[in-house]
Amino acid sequence: MTMVHKDELLNRLQSLDKMPTLPVVLVPLLRYLEQPIENLEVQGVVDLISKDKSLAAQCLQLANSPLFGRPQSVDSIYSAVLALGMQRMCDIAVSCSVLKLAPQGKAPMDPVVFWEHSLGCALLSRRFAAKIGFADPAKAYLAALLHDIGIIATLAVVPQEFARAYEVARTRHIPLHEAEMTEFGLTHGESGRVVAEKWRLAPELAAVVAHHHAPQEAPADRALVALISLADLLCRMTALGHGFTEQRQVSLTQEPAFRVLLQECPKLRDFDWALLTFELEGYLDEVHRLVTAFYRPL
Amino acid sequence: MTSPANPPLRAESLSSASDSQLVRIRDLIYQVAGIFQPDNKLRLLQDRCSKRMKTLGVSTLHEYHECLTTKPIRQAELTSLLNEITIGETCFFRNQPQLDAIRNVVLPKILAARSKLPLRHLRIWSAGCSTGEEPYTLSILMLEESAGRLKDWTFEILATDLNQKSLAHATQGLYGTYSTRNLTAYFRQKYFTARGEDLHVASEVRARVSFNRVNLSDDSRMTFIKGIDLIMCCNVLIYFDAASKRRVIQHFYNNLLAHGYLLLGHSESLYGISDDFRLVHLPSATAYVKAEERQIAP
Repeated sequence: MTMVHKDELLNRLQSLDKMPTLPVVLVPLLRYLEQPIENLEVQGVVDLISKDKSLAAQCLQLANSPLFGRPQSVDSIYSAVLALGMQRMCDIAVSCSVLKLAPQGKAPMDPVVFWEHSLGCALLSRRFAAKIGFADPAKAYLAALLHDIGIIATLAVVPQEFARAYEVARTRHIPLHEAEMTEFGLTHGESGRVVAEKWRLAPELAAVVAHHHAPQEAPADRALVALISLADLLCRMTALGHGFTEQRQVSLTQEPAFRVLLQECPKLRDFDWALLTFELEGYLDEVHRLVTAFYRPL
Repeated sequence: MTSPANPPLRAESLSSASDSQLVRIRDLIYQVAGIFQPDNKLRLLQDRCSKRMKTLGVSTLHEYHECLTTKPIRQAELTSLLNEITIGETCFFRNQPQLDAIRNVVLPKILAARSKLPLRHLRIWSAGCSTGEEPYTLSILMLEESAGRLKDWTFEILATDLNQKSLAHATQGLYGTYSTRNLTAYFRQKYFTARGEDLHVASEVRARVSFNRVNLSDDSRMTFIKGIDLIMCCNVLIYFDAASKRRVIQHFYNNLLAHGYLLLGHSESLYGISDDFRLVHLPSATAYVKAEERQIAP
């Protein structure tokens, strides 16, 4: 098989002829969410979500999950916003619209696996951020949800090469970005950077997408990138990875990301990693149930 | 522990007064015993509490929480509840992800470190082995590797417990259907023989295991156990108070070789007990290794 050169890959990504486009509702939703949460209006969020009926139905599914709140059963977007609050409902709406970006066609990576990892990582990142006193847990949620969009981009432009890298990672039990590097010289972080620019994601989200496997190299927003990097790693070691097990030993406190994050969050110095891991294990089943339900026709 | 200002993910889903009492009990158990009941086990915890409440004649979880905290019976009651939580957990191949991690990650690392030493002999210790299922499982695991990674190696499994009756059962090596429920046909056929309704452990498995009565709180006895590569201590330390736990952990630290591993039961943690051990993540499992240095400062 011909080895695709990295520059050619980047060119293909730039040309974007096969690149998935952002779901229609996500663009205004992300723009809307760039305002401070106190400036958002209930009706504005309800209107945005209700524009797309299937999105609204899927939002209700998530809103009724214990992972997102469910103080009582909700049956309309309006009552969900009132019951769960604006921030949580925005998280749900973005999650549902992002889930529509599933890998297309006969993808080597099951979309359920892909989104289980992303949604699990988002939930974990928000929890982790809150525990260590990180300034913006909601931002951590959104960034984690999007952190692997480079995989979708790579799949769109070089599906065969990606399939080969995925198979190498799966059979050798190594991290996916390492296999991508050896197989075609471009990680999903790099391809994600291109797509993040194209989609005009906020700079901190783009930094996470591009640098979550090397947070120390991020030019800005390094703490957020490091937080997502650690959450991503913990997910991959806790049965919420890319559909295979990475056969290795990881010490989170020895990771470069740990050093980076510690500078901003001193609580990390005496952090109960075991408890965070157990909490993550506690919602694996629900994440699986939610994402699987999402891909079943309503 | 979780502070009220920073509610855990799962607590958001638990709105009723009894559910929040249950979370309080769960957090108390983790704080005192170091074992966590994740979200998906909360209903099970409720059943265990209900059983104890019936025995005590207590009608609400709030009252039961008082029994576990302020009443004179609190220590005895905590032990009874822990017994309920861990009841029926003893069986062959109890925690498959942990066993896979030992075989695929821990063992290669131990062998690599051991290769610098002249003696090709492994020492594994099942501390608190109860009726013997755990040390026999470890023996089977190592025998499975005897033609592969452990070719030209020998190994021994030290199995200790405080309870003489449990040790007598273990030495006999005869197990009923409940203990053997996780055995695959392959292992059943290869390492067991049928004796009526029961299964008898094969002599080659038993030959590698030596059973001894050891009190983990007996300092003089613990001091003389040396040169251990791996310690398994599952659902034992949860019954110790913090001071005794610290002492046992200090002994474990000294019992282990420099490259040694300490593995605890599922959802058990050493947080707040030892700074000498460092938590590491294995695929779907955690373990403790001897820390060469304290956590890194930035």
